[in-house]
Amino acid sequence: MTDPKQGITEAEAIEQAKQGHEAAFEVLYHLHKRRVYSLCLRMVSNPVQAEDLAQEAFLQLFRKISTFRGESAFSTWLHRMTVNVVLMQLRKKGLPVVSLEETLEADDEAPRKEFGAKDVRLTGSIDRLQLQRAIDRLPPGYRTVFVLHDVEGFEHNEIAQMVGCSIGNSKSQLHKARLKLRDYLKFMRAEKAKTG
Amino acid sequence: MTCSDVQRVLPELLDGAPDSAFQTDFETHVNACPACSDLLSDLKLIASQARQLAATEEPAPRVWVRIAAELRAEGMIREPESAPKSAPTRPILVPTSPRRRWSAWWLAPVAAALLAAGSYVVSYKPAPQVAKQQAPATPVASPVPETPAVTSAAVPTPAPQQLAQKSAKSTDLVGSAVGPAVEPEPSAEDQQFLSVVSTRAPSMRATYENQLQAVNADIRESQAYLDRNPGDADARQHLMDAYQQKALLYQIALDRIQ
Repeated sequence: MTDPKQGITEAEAIEQAKQGHEAAFEVLYHLHKRRVYSLCLRMVSNPVQAEDLAQEAFLQLFRKISTFRGESAFSTWLHRMTVNVVLMQLRKKGLPVVSLEETLEADDEAPRKEFGAKDVRLTGSIDRLQLQRAIDRLPPGYRTVFVLHDVEGFEHNEIAQMVGCSIGNSKSQLHKARLKLRDYLKFMRAEKAKTG
Repeated sequence: MTCSDVQRVLPELLDGAPDSAFQTDFETHVNACPACSDLLSDLKLIASQARQLAATEEPAPRVWVRIAAELRAEGMIREPESAPKSAPTRPILVPTSPRRRWSAWWLAPVAAALLAAGSYVVSYKPAPQVAKQQAPATPVASPVPETPAVTSAAVPTPAPQQLAQKSAKSTDLVGSAVGPAVEPEPSAEDQQFLSVVSTRAPSMRATYENQLQAVNADIRESQAYLDRNPGDADARQHLMDAYQQKALLYQIALDRIQ
Protein backbone atom coordinates (compact mmCIF):
# COMPACT_ATOMS: atom_id res chain seq x y z
CA MET A 1 0.00 0.00 0.00
CA THR A 2 1.35 3.42 -0.95
CA ASP A 3 0.23 6.89 -0.14
CA PRO A 4 0.22 8.26 -3.70
CA LYS A 5 0.46 11.88 -2.64
CA GLN A 6 3.29 11.41 -0.17
CA GLY A 7 5.10 8.89 -2.39
CA ILE A 8 5.89 6.63 0.53
CA THR A 9 4.93 3.02 0.99
CA GLU A 10 3.20 1.70 4.07
CA ALA A 11 6.24 -0.39 4.94
CA GLU A 12 8.50 2.68 4.73
CA ALA A 13 6.07 4.67 6.84
CA ILE A 14 6.04 1.92 9.47
CA GLU A 15 9.82 1.92 9.70
CA GLN A 16 9.96 5.72 9.91
CA ALA A 17 7.19 5.76 12.52
CA LYS A 18 9.30 3.40 14.63
CA GLN A 19 11.94 6.14 14.56
CA GLY A 20 9.38 8.67 15.76
CA HIS A 21 8.82 10.62 12.55
CA GLU A 22 5.60 12.53 12.78
CA ALA A 23 5.08 12.60 9.02
CA ALA A 24 5.21 8.79 8.98
CA PHE A 25 2.58 8.56 11.73
CA GLU A 26 0.46 10.89 9.70
CA VAL A 27 0.83 8.84 6.53
CA LEU A 28 -0.27 5.71 8.38
CA TYR A 29 -3.18 7.60 9.88
CA HIS A 30 -4.40 8.85 6.52
CA LEU A 31 -4.01 5.45 4.89
CA HIS A 32 -6.28 3.80 7.43
CA LYS A 33 -8.42 6.52 9.01
CA ARG A 34 -11.56 5.89 6.97
CA ARG A 35 -11.62 2.18 7.64
CA VAL A 36 -10.92 2.60 11.35
CA TYR A 37 -13.35 5.45 11.88
CA SER A 38 -16.07 3.73 9.84
CA LEU A 39 -15.66 0.57 11.89
CA CYS A 40 -15.96 2.53 15.14
CA LEU A 41 -18.95 4.47 13.86
CA ARG A 42 -20.81 1.36 12.70
CA MET A 43 -20.27 -0.35 16.03
CA VAL A 44 -21.25 2.49 18.36
CA SER A 45 -23.53 4.55 16.08
CA ASN A 46 -22.30 7.76 17.65
CA PRO A 47 -19.92 10.07 15.74
CA VAL A 48 -18.40 11.65 18.85
CA GLN A 49 -17.72 8.30 20.51
CA ALA A 50 -16.45 6.95 17.21
CA GLU A 51 -13.91 9.76 16.98
CA ASP A 52 -12.70 9.04 20.50
CA LEU A 53 -12.44 5.34 19.77
CA ALA A 54 -10.61 5.87 16.48
CA GLN A 55 -8.21 8.18 18.28
CA GLU A 56 -7.61 5.57 20.98
CA ALA A 57 -7.12 2.80 18.40
CA PHE A 58 -4.49 4.80 16.52
CA LEU A 59 -2.74 5.80 19.73
CA GLN A 60 -2.57 2.18 20.86
CA LEU A 61 -1.25 1.27 17.44
CA PHE A 62 1.44 3.93 17.49
CA ARG A 63 2.46 3.07 21.05
CA LYS A 64 3.01 -0.55 20.00
CA ILE A 65 4.33 0.03 16.53
CA SER A 66 7.88 -0.83 17.55
CA THR A 67 6.66 -4.38 18.23
CA PHE A 68 5.20 -4.79 14.74
CA ARG A 69 7.33 -7.36 12.93
CA GLY A 70 5.24 -7.79 9.81
CA GLU A 71 4.08 -11.37 10.44
CA SER A 72 0.53 -10.27 9.67
CA ALA A 73 -0.73 -7.48 7.47
CA PHE A 74 -0.51 -4.11 9.14
CA SER A 75 -4.16 -3.41 8.34
CA THR A 76 -5.23 -6.69 9.94
CA TRP A 77 -3.27 -5.80 13.06
CA LEU A 78 -4.80 -2.33 13.19
CA HIS A 79 -8.35 -3.49 12.60
CA ARG A 80 -8.15 -6.15 15.27
CA MET A 81 -6.79 -3.55 17.63
CA THR A 82 -9.66 -1.25 16.73
CA VAL A 83 -12.23 -3.96 17.34
CA ASN A 84 -10.68 -4.68 20.73
CA VAL A 85 -10.77 -0.99 21.66
CA VAL A 86 -14.44 -0.77 20.70
CA LEU A 87 -15.40 -4.00 22.45
CA MET A 88 -13.59 -2.91 25.59
CA GLN A 89 -15.54 0.34 25.52
CA LEU A 90 -18.84 -1.50 25.05
CA ARG A 91 -18.02 -3.77 27.97
CA LYS A 92 -17.08 -0.80 30.14
CA LYS A 93 -20.45 0.75 29.42
CA GLY A 94 -22.19 -2.50 30.25
CA LEU A 95 -23.47 -2.98 26.73
CA PRO A 96 -23.61 -6.57 25.48
CA VAL A 97 -21.03 -7.32 22.81
CA VAL A 98 -23.01 -10.43 22.08
CA SER A 99 -26.72 -10.76 22.73
CA LEU A 100 -28.19 -13.26 25.11
CA GLU A 101 -30.12 -15.90 23.23
CA GLU A 102 -33.05 -15.72 25.63
CA THR A 103 -33.44 -12.02 25.03
CA LEU A 104 -33.18 -12.52 21.31
CA GLU A 105 -35.82 -15.18 21.16
CA ALA A 106 -38.19 -13.10 23.23
CA ASP A 107 -38.23 -10.11 20.92
CA ASP A 108 -37.29 -11.80 17.71
CA GLU A 109 -40.68 -11.71 16.07
CA ALA A 110 -41.86 -8.36 17.34
CA PRO A 111 -40.38 -6.01 14.76
CA ARG A 112 -41.51 -8.09 11.83
CA LYS A 113 -45.07 -8.23 13.05
CA GLU A 114 -45.02 -4.56 13.85
CA PHE A 115 -43.70 -3.52 10.47
CA GLY A 116 -45.86 -5.70 8.27
CA ALA A 117 -45.26 -4.81 4.61
CA LYS A 118 -44.31 -8.38 3.84
CA ASP A 119 -45.25 -7.87 0.24
CA VAL A 120 -42.46 -5.34 -0.30
CA ARG A 121 -39.31 -7.04 -1.52
CA LEU A 122 -35.92 -5.42 -1.35
CA THR A 123 -34.78 -5.22 -4.92
CA GLY A 124 -31.90 -3.55 -6.67
CA SER A 125 -29.55 -1.73 -4.40
CA ILE A 126 -30.04 -0.48 -0.87
CA ASP A 127 -29.46 3.18 -0.17
CA ARG A 128 -26.32 3.57 1.92
CA LEU A 129 -27.86 5.99 4.40
CA GLN A 130 -30.91 3.80 4.86
CA LEU A 131 -28.76 0.77 5.48
CA GLN A 132 -26.68 2.73 7.97
CA ARG A 133 -29.80 3.85 9.81
CA ALA A 134 -31.11 0.31 9.91
CA ILE A 135 -27.79 -0.89 11.35
CA ASP A 136 -27.97 1.87 13.95
CA ARG A 137 -31.31 0.47 15.09
CA LEU A 138 -29.93 -2.99 15.73
CA PRO A 139 -29.39 -4.00 19.35
CA PRO A 140 -25.68 -3.71 20.21
CA GLY A 141 -25.08 -7.46 20.25
CA TYR A 142 -26.58 -8.02 16.82
CA ARG A 143 -24.86 -4.94 15.48
CA THR A 144 -21.43 -6.08 16.63
CA VAL A 145 -21.62 -9.42 14.86
CA PHE A 146 -23.21 -7.97 11.73
CA VAL A 147 -20.62 -5.20 11.41
CA LEU A 148 -17.71 -7.53 12.04
CA HIS A 149 -18.90 -10.16 9.57
CA ASP A 150 -20.82 -8.45 6.79
CA VAL A 151 -19.19 -5.02 6.82
CA GLU A 152 -15.64 -5.78 7.94
CA GLY A 153 -15.32 -9.29 6.56
CA PHE A 154 -14.17 -11.13 9.68
CA GLU A 155 -14.85 -14.87 9.76
CA HIS A 156 -17.11 -16.44 12.37
CA ASN A 157 -14.20 -18.10 14.16
CA GLU A 158 -12.44 -14.74 14.45
CA ILE A 159 -15.60 -13.05 15.71
CA ALA A 160 -16.20 -15.80 18.23
CA GLN A 161 -12.68 -15.32 19.55
CA MET A 162 -12.94 -11.53 19.71
CA VAL A 163 -16.34 -11.22 21.33
CA GLY A 164 -16.14 -14.36 23.42
CA CYS A 165 -18.96 -16.49 22.06
CA SER A 166 -19.30 -19.73 20.16
CA ILE A 167 -19.07 -19.92 16.38
CA GLY A 168 -22.64 -21.16 16.27
CA ASN A 169 -23.76 -18.21 18.33
CA SER A 170 -22.00 -15.84 15.96
CA LYS A 171 -23.74 -17.41 12.96
CA SER A 172 -27.08 -17.33 14.68
CA GLN A 173 -26.76 -13.70 15.68
CA LEU A 174 -25.66 -12.71 12.21
CA HIS A 175 -28.71 -14.37 10.70
CA LYS A 176 -31.04 -12.68 13.15
CA ALA A 177 -29.38 -9.35 12.57
CA ARG A 178 -29.92 -9.70 8.82
CA LEU A 179 -33.57 -10.61 9.38
CA LYS A 180 -34.06 -7.54 11.54
CA LEU A 181 -32.33 -5.35 8.98
CA ARG A 182 -34.60 -6.71 6.28
CA ASP A 183 -37.62 -5.78 8.35
CA TYR A 184 -36.27 -2.32 9.13
CA LEU A 185 -35.45 -1.65 5.48
CA LYS A 186 -38.84 -2.85 4.29
CA PHE A 187 -40.50 -0.66 6.87
CA MET A 188 -38.45 2.35 5.78
CA ARG A 189 -39.35 1.76 2.13
CA ALA A 190 -43.01 1.40 2.97
CA GLU A 191 -42.93 4.62 5.00
CA LYS A 192 -41.16 6.45 2.20
CA ALA A 193 -43.68 5.19 -0.32
CA LYS A 194 -46.50 6.44 1.91
CA THR A 195 -45.05 9.93 2.31
CA GLY A 196 -44.38 10.07 -1.40
CA MET B 1 -38.32 -29.21 3.34
CA THR B 2 -40.73 -26.61 4.76
CA CYS B 3 -40.36 -22.84 5.16
CA SER B 4 -39.47 -23.40 8.81
CA ASP B 5 -36.75 -25.84 7.80
CA VAL B 6 -35.36 -23.21 5.45
CA GLN B 7 -35.23 -20.70 8.29
CA ARG B 8 -33.37 -23.25 10.38
CA VAL B 9 -30.67 -24.13 7.84
CA LEU B 10 -30.36 -20.68 6.25
CA PRO B 11 -27.67 -19.35 8.63
CA GLU B 12 -25.43 -22.27 7.64
CA LEU B 13 -26.14 -22.23 3.92
CA LEU B 14 -26.29 -18.51 3.26
CA ASP B 15 -22.60 -17.90 3.82
CA GLY B 16 -21.52 -20.69 1.57
CA ALA B 17 -21.09 -23.51 4.05
CA PRO B 18 -21.75 -26.53 1.85
CA ASP B 19 -23.95 -29.17 3.38
CA SER B 20 -24.95 -31.71 0.82
CA ALA B 21 -27.54 -33.20 3.15
CA PHE B 22 -29.59 -30.00 3.02
CA GLN B 23 -28.42 -28.26 -0.12
CA THR B 24 -30.57 -30.07 -2.66
CA ASP B 25 -33.76 -29.96 -0.59
CA PHE B 26 -33.08 -26.35 0.25
CA GLU B 27 -32.66 -25.33 -3.37
CA THR B 28 -35.72 -27.29 -4.44
CA HIS B 29 -37.85 -25.56 -1.83
CA VAL B 30 -36.48 -22.08 -2.51
CA ASN B 31 -37.06 -22.46 -6.24
CA ALA B 32 -40.68 -23.36 -5.61
CA CYS B 33 -41.46 -20.97 -2.75
CA PRO B 34 -41.66 -17.23 -3.61
CA ALA B 35 -41.53 -16.19 0.06
CA CYS B 36 -38.35 -18.12 0.80
CA SER B 37 -36.87 -17.07 -2.54
CA ASP B 38 -37.50 -13.42 -1.67
CA LEU B 39 -36.06 -13.93 1.79
CA LEU B 40 -32.91 -15.47 0.39
CA SER B 41 -32.49 -12.70 -2.20
CA ASP B 42 -33.01 -9.98 0.38
CA LEU B 43 -30.53 -11.43 2.86
CA LYS B 44 -27.91 -11.83 0.15
CA LEU B 45 -28.52 -8.26 -0.97
CA ILE B 46 -28.12 -6.92 2.58
CA ALA B 47 -24.88 -8.85 3.03
CA SER B 48 -23.45 -7.61 -0.26
CA GLN B 49 -24.46 -3.99 0.28
CA ALA B 50 -23.09 -3.98 3.81
CA ARG B 51 -19.57 -4.54 2.50
CA GLN B 52 -19.73 -1.16 0.80
CA LEU B 53 -19.92 0.55 4.19
CA ALA B 54 -16.45 -0.62 5.18
CA ALA B 55 -14.53 2.61 4.68
CA THR B 56 -17.04 5.24 3.75
CA GLU B 57 -16.81 7.63 6.66
CA GLU B 58 -14.22 10.36 6.96
CA PRO B 59 -13.19 11.35 10.48
CA ALA B 60 -13.07 15.05 11.27
CA PRO B 61 -9.64 16.69 10.90
CA ARG B 62 -9.59 17.27 14.65
CA VAL B 63 -9.01 13.54 15.22
CA TRP B 64 -5.53 13.69 13.74
CA VAL B 65 -4.85 16.98 15.51
CA ARG B 66 -5.64 15.31 18.84
CA ILE B 67 -3.61 12.20 18.02
CA ALA B 68 -0.60 14.29 17.02
CA ALA B 69 -0.90 16.35 20.21
CA GLU B 70 -1.02 13.18 22.30
CA LEU B 71 1.97 11.68 20.49
CA ARG B 72 3.95 14.83 21.20
CA ALA B 73 2.84 14.88 24.83
CA GLU B 74 3.96 11.27 25.23
CA GLY B 75 7.28 12.03 23.57
CA MET B 76 6.72 9.56 20.79
CA ILE B 77 7.47 12.08 18.09
CA ARG B 78 11.17 12.77 17.89
CA GLU B 79 12.37 15.92 16.24
CA PRO B 80 15.48 15.21 14.15
CA GLU B 81 18.58 17.16 15.11
CA SER B 82 18.95 18.79 11.71
CA ALA B 83 15.92 18.75 9.53
CA PRO B 84 16.34 19.64 5.88
CA LYS B 85 14.41 22.73 4.94
CA SER B 86 12.64 21.02 2.10
CA ALA B 87 11.23 18.28 4.30
CA PRO B 88 9.98 19.64 7.57
CA THR B 89 9.30 16.81 9.99
CA ARG B 90 6.70 18.74 11.87
CA PRO B 91 4.03 19.15 9.22
CA ILE B 92 2.46 22.23 10.66
CA LEU B 93 1.82 25.37 8.73
CA VAL B 94 4.34 27.46 10.61
CA PRO B 95 4.95 30.86 9.01
CA THR B 96 8.44 31.02 7.58
CA SER B 97 8.70 34.78 7.73
CA PRO B 98 6.74 37.60 9.35
CA ARG B 99 6.13 39.13 5.93
CA ARG B 100 3.94 36.19 5.01
CA ARG B 101 1.71 36.36 8.06
CA TRP B 102 -0.87 38.51 6.40
CA SER B 103 -1.11 36.42 3.26
CA ALA B 104 -3.53 33.91 4.72
CA TRP B 105 -5.95 36.47 6.09
CA TRP B 106 -8.57 35.30 3.63
CA LEU B 107 -8.85 31.91 5.33
CA ALA B 108 -10.98 33.29 8.14
CA PRO B 109 -13.65 34.89 5.96
CA VAL B 110 -13.65 31.83 3.73
CA ALA B 111 -14.25 29.62 6.75
CA ALA B 112 -17.05 31.95 7.80
CA ALA B 113 -18.41 31.97 4.27
CA LEU B 114 -18.44 28.17 4.23
CA LEU B 115 -20.44 28.12 7.43
CA ALA B 116 -22.76 30.78 6.08
CA ALA B 117 -23.17 28.88 2.82
CA GLY B 118 -23.87 25.67 4.70
CA SER B 119 -26.32 27.43 6.93
CA TYR B 120 -28.03 28.96 3.92
CA VAL B 121 -28.26 25.73 1.94
CA VAL B 122 -29.33 23.64 4.88
CA SER B 123 -31.76 26.05 6.47
CA TYR B 124 -33.36 27.86 3.61
CA LYS B 125 -33.07 26.06 0.31
CA PRO B 126 -35.37 23.17 1.12
CA ALA B 127 -37.69 25.19 3.31
CA PRO B 128 -40.72 25.29 0.99
CA GLN B 129 -40.62 21.52 0.54
CA VAL B 130 -39.85 20.82 4.17
CA ALA B 131 -42.74 22.92 5.35
CA LYS B 132 -45.13 20.50 3.78
CA GLN B 133 -43.70 17.52 5.60
CA GLN B 134 -42.58 18.82 8.97
CA ALA B 135 -44.62 19.92 11.89
CA PRO B 136 -44.84 23.71 11.95
CA ALA B 137 -43.70 23.72 15.57
CA THR B 138 -40.24 22.48 14.48
CA PRO B 139 -38.32 25.56 13.47
CA VAL B 140 -35.10 25.18 11.54
CA ALA B 141 -32.71 26.86 13.89
CA SER B 142 -29.61 28.45 12.51
CA PRO B 143 -26.99 25.85 13.35
CA VAL B 144 -24.10 28.28 13.29
CA PRO B 145 -24.91 31.15 15.59
CA GLU B 146 -21.24 31.80 16.24
CA THR B 147 -20.42 32.58 12.62
CA PRO B 148 -19.46 36.22 13.26
CA ALA B 149 -16.89 35.10 15.82
CA VAL B 150 -14.96 33.25 13.15
CA THR B 151 -13.96 36.51 11.55
CA SER B 152 -11.86 37.68 14.43
CA ALA B 153 -10.59 41.19 14.81
CA ALA B 154 -7.09 39.95 14.14
CA VAL B 155 -7.79 39.48 10.46
CA PRO B 156 -9.24 41.89 7.93
CA THR B 157 -12.98 41.53 7.64
CA PRO B 158 -14.26 41.46 4.09
CA ALA B 159 -17.03 43.72 2.92
CA PRO B 160 -20.49 42.18 3.29
CA GLN B 161 -20.85 41.96 -0.48
CA GLN B 162 -17.55 40.13 -0.68
CA LEU B 163 -18.65 37.66 1.94
CA ALA B 164 -21.99 37.19 0.24
CA GLN B 165 -20.26 36.55 -3.06
CA LYS B 166 -18.06 33.92 -1.46
CA SER B 167 -21.08 32.30 0.15
CA ALA B 168 -22.96 32.28 -3.12
CA LYS B 169 -19.97 30.83 -4.88
CA SER B 170 -19.66 28.04 -2.34
CA THR B 171 -23.37 27.34 -2.64
CA ASP B 172 -23.17 27.27 -6.41
CA LEU B 173 -20.27 24.88 -6.25
CA VAL B 174 -22.29 22.46 -4.20
CA GLY B 175 -25.37 22.89 -6.33
CA SER B 176 -23.52 22.35 -9.56
CA ALA B 177 -21.81 19.29 -8.19
CA VAL B 178 -25.06 17.40 -7.82
CA GLY B 179 -25.27 15.05 -10.72
CA PRO B 180 -22.69 12.89 -12.39
CA ALA B 181 -20.08 11.46 -10.06
CA VAL B 182 -17.22 13.31 -11.70
CA GLU B 183 -14.70 14.96 -9.43
CA PRO B 184 -15.21 18.69 -10.09
CA GLU B 185 -12.42 21.20 -10.23
CA PRO B 186 -11.58 22.63 -6.81
CA SER B 187 -13.06 26.05 -6.13
CA ALA B 188 -10.91 29.16 -6.31
CA GLU B 189 -10.80 29.31 -2.49
CA ASP B 190 -9.67 25.69 -2.25
CA GLN B 191 -6.97 26.25 -4.86
CA GLN B 192 -5.73 29.35 -3.07
CA PHE B 193 -5.78 27.49 0.22
CA LEU B 194 -3.76 24.60 -1.20
CA SER B 195 -1.38 27.03 -2.81
CA VAL B 196 -0.62 28.58 0.58
CA VAL B 197 -0.18 25.15 2.12
CA SER B 198 2.20 24.19 -0.69
CA THR B 199 4.27 27.28 -0.01
CA ARG B 200 4.44 26.93 3.75
CA ALA B 201 4.59 23.18 4.19
CA PRO B 202 4.80 21.18 0.97
CA SER B 203 4.64 17.90 2.82
CA MET B 204 1.21 18.83 4.18
CA ARG B 205 -0.36 19.67 0.86
CA ALA B 206 -1.38 16.08 0.15
CA THR B 207 -3.00 15.80 3.56
CA TYR B 208 -5.07 18.93 3.15
CA GLU B 209 -5.88 18.12 -0.47
CA ASN B 210 -7.15 14.68 0.52
CA GLN B 211 -9.20 16.14 3.33
CA LEU B 212 -10.67 18.81 1.08
CA GLN B 213 -11.58 16.24 -1.55
CA ALA B 214 -13.18 14.03 1.05
CA VAL B 215 -15.22 16.78 2.63
CA ASN B 216 -16.24 18.22 -0.74
CA ALA B 217 -17.37 14.76 -1.83
CA ASP B 218 -19.32 14.43 1.40
CA ILE B 219 -21.00 17.78 0.77
CA ARG B 220 -21.92 16.80 -2.78
CA GLU B 221 -23.24 13.42 -1.74
CA SER B 222 -25.24 14.84 1.15
CA GLN B 223 -26.65 17.60 -1.05
CA ALA B 224 -27.66 15.10 -3.73
CA TYR B 225 -29.38 12.93 -1.14
CA LEU B 226 -31.11 15.96 0.37
CA ASP B 227 -32.33 17.03 -3.06
CA ARG B 228 -33.93 13.62 -3.47
CA ASN B 229 -35.26 13.61 0.10
CA PRO B 230 -35.92 17.24 1.05
CA GLY B 231 -37.86 16.31 4.15
CA ASP B 232 -35.08 14.27 5.69
CA ALA B 233 -33.91 16.13 8.79
CA ASP B 234 -30.98 13.75 9.38
CA ALA B 235 -29.69 14.31 5.86
CA ARG B 236 -29.92 18.08 6.35
CA GLN B 237 -27.97 17.80 9.58
CA HIS B 238 -25.39 15.63 7.83
CA LEU B 239 -24.96 18.30 5.16
CA MET B 240 -24.52 20.97 7.81
CA ASP B 241 -21.96 18.80 9.56
CA ALA B 242 -20.07 18.45 6.30
CA TYR B 243 -19.97 22.21 5.84
CA GLN B 244 -18.82 22.65 9.40
CA GLN B 245 -16.12 20.08 8.87
CA LYS B 246 -14.84 21.99 5.85
CA ALA B 247 -14.91 25.23 7.79
CA LEU B 248 -13.04 23.50 10.59
CA LEU B 249 -10.40 22.36 8.14
CA TYR B 250 -9.82 25.95 7.06
CA GLN B 251 -9.91 27.05 10.68
CA ILE B 252 -7.23 24.57 11.72
CA ALA B 253 -4.99 25.82 8.94
CA LEU B 254 -5.74 29.37 10.00
CA ASP B 255 -4.78 28.63 13.59
CA ARG B 256 -1.49 27.18 12.46
CA ILE B 257 -0.66 30.07 10.15
CA GLN B 258 -1.57 33.00 12.34
